[in-house]
Amino acid sequence: MKQSRSQRALGRLLPTLVLIASAIFFAFPLLAMARFAFQNLQVIDLGWNNLFEKWSFSSITASFSDDFFAEALTLSLKLAVGTALFTLGLLIPTAVWVHLRLPKARVFVEFLTILPYVIPAIALVAGIVVVKPHARWFLNSDYSLIPFYVVLALPFTYRSIDTGLRAIDLKVLVEASRSLGSTWIATLFRVVIPNLRAAIISSTFLTVAVVLGEYTISDVLLKRTFPSFMAQYRQSDPRGGYALAILALLGTTLLFVAIGVLSKSRSTRPQQVSRSQENEILV
Amino acid sequence: MTSLSFTGIRKTFGTTVALESFDLALQPGELVSLLGPSGCGKTTALRIAAGFEIPDTGVVSLGESVITDTPAHRRNMGMVFQSYSLFPNLTVAQNVDFGLRNRKVEKAKRNSRVGEMLELVQLGELGKRYPHQLSGGQQQRVALARALAVQPEVLLLDEPLSALDAKVRSTLRDEIRRIQTELKTTTLFVTHDQDEALAISDRIGVMSNGRLEQLGTPEDVYLRPASPFVARFVGSINELPNSNGVGKILMRPEDITISENENELTMRGTVTRVTFQGPVTIISVRVDINDQLVNVHAASGSIHVQVGDRVSLAVTPGRGIVEAA
Amino acid sequence: MAFTHTSPKKDEGVVATAAAPLLFSVLRRVSAWSGLIPFFLFLILFLFIPAISVFSQALHDADGSFGFSAMREAISGQNLDAFIFSLKFSAGAAFVGVVFGGFLAYAAATATRPRWLRNIVSSFSGVAANMGGLPLAFAFLSLLGRQGLGTKILNAFGWDLYAGDFKLGEVSGLITVYSYFNIPLMVLVTLPAIDGLKSSWREACANLGGSAWTYWRRVGLPILAPSLLGGFLLLFANSFSAYATARQLTDNSKIVPLRISFFLGGDISIGEDAVGYSLAAWMIILMGISMAAYWLLRRRAERWSNS
Repeated sequence: MKQSRSQRALGRLLPTLVLIASAIFFAFPLLAMARFAFQNLQVIDLGWNNLFEKWSFSSITASFSDDFFAEALTLSLKLAVGTALFTLGLLIPTAVWVHLRLPKARVFVEFLTILPYVIPAIALVAGIVVVKPHARWFLNSDYSLIPFYVVLALPFTYRSIDTGLRAIDLKVLVEASRSLGSTWIATLFRVVIPNLRAAIISSTFLTVAVVLGEYTISDVLLKRTFPSFMAQYRQSDPRGGYALAILALLGTTLLFVAIGVLSKSRSTRPQQVSRSQENEILV
Repeated sequence: MTSLSFTGIRKTFGTTVALESFDLALQPGELVSLLGPSGCGKTTALRIAAGFEIPDTGVVSLGESVITDTPAHRRNMGMVFQSYSLFPNLTVAQNVDFGLRNRKVEKAKRNSRVGEMLELVQLGELGKRYPHQLSGGQQQRVALARALAVQPEVLLLDEPLSALDAKVRSTLRDEIRRIQTELKTTTLFVTHDQDEALAISDRIGVMSNGRLEQLGTPEDVYLRPASPFVARFVGSINELPNSNGVGKILMRPEDITISENENELTMRGTVTRVTFQGPVTIISVRVDINDQLVNVHAASGSIHVQVGDRVSLAVTPGRGIVEAA
Repeated sequence: MAFTHTSPKKDEGVVATAAAPLLFSVLRRVSAWSGLIPFFLFLILFLFIPAISVFSQALHDADGSFGFSAMREAISGQNLDAFIFSLKFSAGAAFVGVVFGGFLAYAAATATRPRWLRNIVSSFSGVAANMGGLPLAFAFLSLLGRQGLGTKILNAFGWDLYAGDFKLGEVSGLITVYSYFNIPLMVLVTLPAIDGLKSSWREACANLGGSAWTYWRRVGLPILAPSLLGGFLLLFANSFSAYATARQLTDNSKIVPLRISFFLGGDISIGEDAVGYSLAAWMIILMGISMAAYWLLRRRAERWSNS
C-alpha cells in the first residue's frame, strides 16, 4: 500500500508542475501590464522599497474623459449586440434546418464554418477594400462591420449552437410540438430556443469577446471602434492605453467565467466517478 | 482453474460505503453472479478483484497467493466491460492479440491463438475489421475472445450484456456460459438482471447496500430467499398479512392457491384482472382483509374466473418468507 | 393505322408518368436544400465575394492587364523572405503550442482535486484563445519589452534577455507571445479529445498486462494523433494569419500579414497594389491547404470517438 501511494504521488507531480508553470506563464504578463498601467513608477526606478507606492487608477479615469472614449465604447458595444443578434438569427434556423431536414449536409455545413480560418481577417479586409468603391453606400456605415464580425466568429458560434442542438433530441421535441398544434414559428420560439439557452448564452458571449477585441478589420477600414481607440490612445498615453486593455480583458474574462458557470450546471459527465477512480490507481 | 476469494473487504468512497464487510469464495471453475440493484456494491467488488480499486481493509486471494496489493496489470485475469472497451484504432485480430503481445508470446503462437479464440466466439472471418464496423453483440464477443486469449485464471464480467438488444442478449448469455463451462474458467459475473443470473450461474450472490444478502444456488435464492430483500428482488412477490397478525408474509404468485369457491380457502377476495400469458394465467385479486392486490399464477385452463368473481386464496405452507413489521 | 395516330400521344403519356416521380424527388431534394439559402447567401456576400475579389486583384500584371506576374512577385525576393519567415515562426509557435497545450490539457482533464480546476482552465482558455491582439501585445511589452518588468527581474538574476537575438518582433519573441493564445487554443481543441479517451480502454489495457507506457504507445497516442496533428494545423494557421498583435510589437513588415497591410495602405501604384493582393491570395491558398488537412484529421478523430 505504501509503495503504490508514493508511486501515485509521483505520477501527480508532473501534471501539477505543468499546471503551476502554466499559471505563472499566463498570469505574469497580465500582472506586468497592470503594474505598468496603475503604478506611476518606471521599471528602472522600481525596487523593493517602493513596490507599493504610487498606485492609482488615474491612468484609466483620465482615459474616460477623452473625447472619443464614450463614442468608441458605445460603438463597440452596439456592434457586439448587433453581431450577436445577427449570428443567432442566421445560425439557429440554419442549424435547426440541417438537423431536421438535411442531416446529410451537416458535414458540409460544418466545413463551411471553418472557412473563416482559410480567409483570415487580414485577407478578408483586403477583399473588402477591393469591393469598397462598388459598395460605398453600405461600407460607409459603421454597422457594416456587423456581418463581417459574424463571419469572424462563425467557427465558434456555429460549433456552440450545433453542440447545443445535439444535446437535445430536436426531432422528437419538434414533432411533439407540431402534433400538439404549434406552427413552425411557435415551435422555434417556444420549444427550440428555450432549450438552447446555454448554447445561446455561450455563443453570445463569444461574439461579444470577438467584437470587443477585433482590431484588424476596423483598423484598415478606419472605423473608430474601442480597440482602435485603445491603439490610438496608447500612442499619446501608454499607461492609459494599457489600462484600457486591462478593462477590456476583465470584461471578457467575466463573460467567460459566466459561460463556464452556466454550462457546468447543465453538463452531466457520467464518466466522472470512474475517472477519479482510475486516476487513483493508474496514473 | 483457480479459486478467488474476498475476505473482510471494506471500501468507502468519501462518505459512501460501497462495501461493508464482503466475504466471498469462488470455487475453481464455477460461475458466480453478483446480482443486485445499482449502488449495491457488486461492480466495486469486481473492480477490486481486477485491481482497479484498492480496498480499505480486507484481503483478496487468487488461489494460494494474496493479490490485494498487486497492480492490475500483473494479475492474470480477463475482464469484459459493459461496453466500448475494444481499442478503436486496432483491428479485431489486433485487439485479441493485445494481451498476448504484452506477454511477449512469439508471433506464430499468437496468430494461431487469435484464430482459435475468434473461432471460439464464432467470428472467424472478421479479424481484419475495426470495432466501429461491428454490431454491439459482435463487439462483446471480441471482448470475450480478447479476455480469454491469455488464458486468465479468473474471468471477470461487468454487466457485459446490459447494453445489448434483448434478442442478442439471450444468445450471447448462453454462449458465455457454454464457453465458460468448456474452458472451466473461474468466473465472476456482475448483473442487475435476475433472469441472466438465474440462467447461467452455479451460485448467485444477491447484494444490497454493500452487503451480501444471500449466497446460494439459483434454486436456493429463488425458492428459499434468505431475506425480504432477496424475495423481492428475485422474481415477483406478493405481500400478504401474516396469519398471526404481526408483520407480512411474502409469497411468490405460484405459491398461492386459488379456488373458485369463495368459502373453500382462508382468504377471500374479488378478481380485478385476468391476464392470459400462454402456459400461465395471472389472476389479480383484491383481498378483503386489507384491500391489497395479490397476483396469483394458475396453470391456464385449470380455473375459470372473470373480473368481478368472488374467489378464495390460500398460501402454501413452508414457502415464502416472513417480514417483521 | 389508327394506332400510329394515337401512339405519339400514348408515348407522351408514358413518358410523363415515368418522369413524375423523378421530378418529384428532384423537387424534394431542392426544397430540402432551399432552407440553407439564407446561410449560403450570407457566406457568398460576406466571405466569398471578398475572397474572390482578392484573387481578381491579384491576377494582374504591372500594366494592369490580366496576368500572373503579381502572383510571381509575391513569392520572390523580400516577399519570399517574408513567407519563409512566417512559415518558420508559425510552425515553431504551433509546435510549442501543441506540446505545452497538450500537456496542460492532459493535466486539466485528469485533475480531480480541486474540482474547479478544469473549469478554470477551460474558461481561461476561452478568454485567452480569443484574446484580441492589443491587450496581448501590451501585456508582453510590459513584461518582456526592453523596459519590461520581467526583463528587469531576469537582469537581477544575471540573465540579460536582450544580449542575444531576442526581440519581441523576432522569431523567439513572437513564438513566446503567440503561445499565449496558441496554448489555450490547443487546450480547447484537445480537452474534448482527451475526454473521449474512455477509461475502459485504459483499464482493459492494464487488465491485459499493459503498463502505462504500453497504453500510451499503442492506444492513447494513436487515438489522439489526429487531434494533435489537427491542433498543430489549426495553431499554424492561426499564428500565420495573426495581424493585430504583430502590428503592435513590430512595425517592420517581416511577416506576411504585416506586409499585406503595408501594401494596402498608403499611396501605391496599381502594380504594387496587385502584389499586396497576391500576398493575400497566396496566404489564402496556404491556409486552405492547412485547413483542408485539419478538416480531414478532425473527421478521422470523430469517427473513432463514435465507435
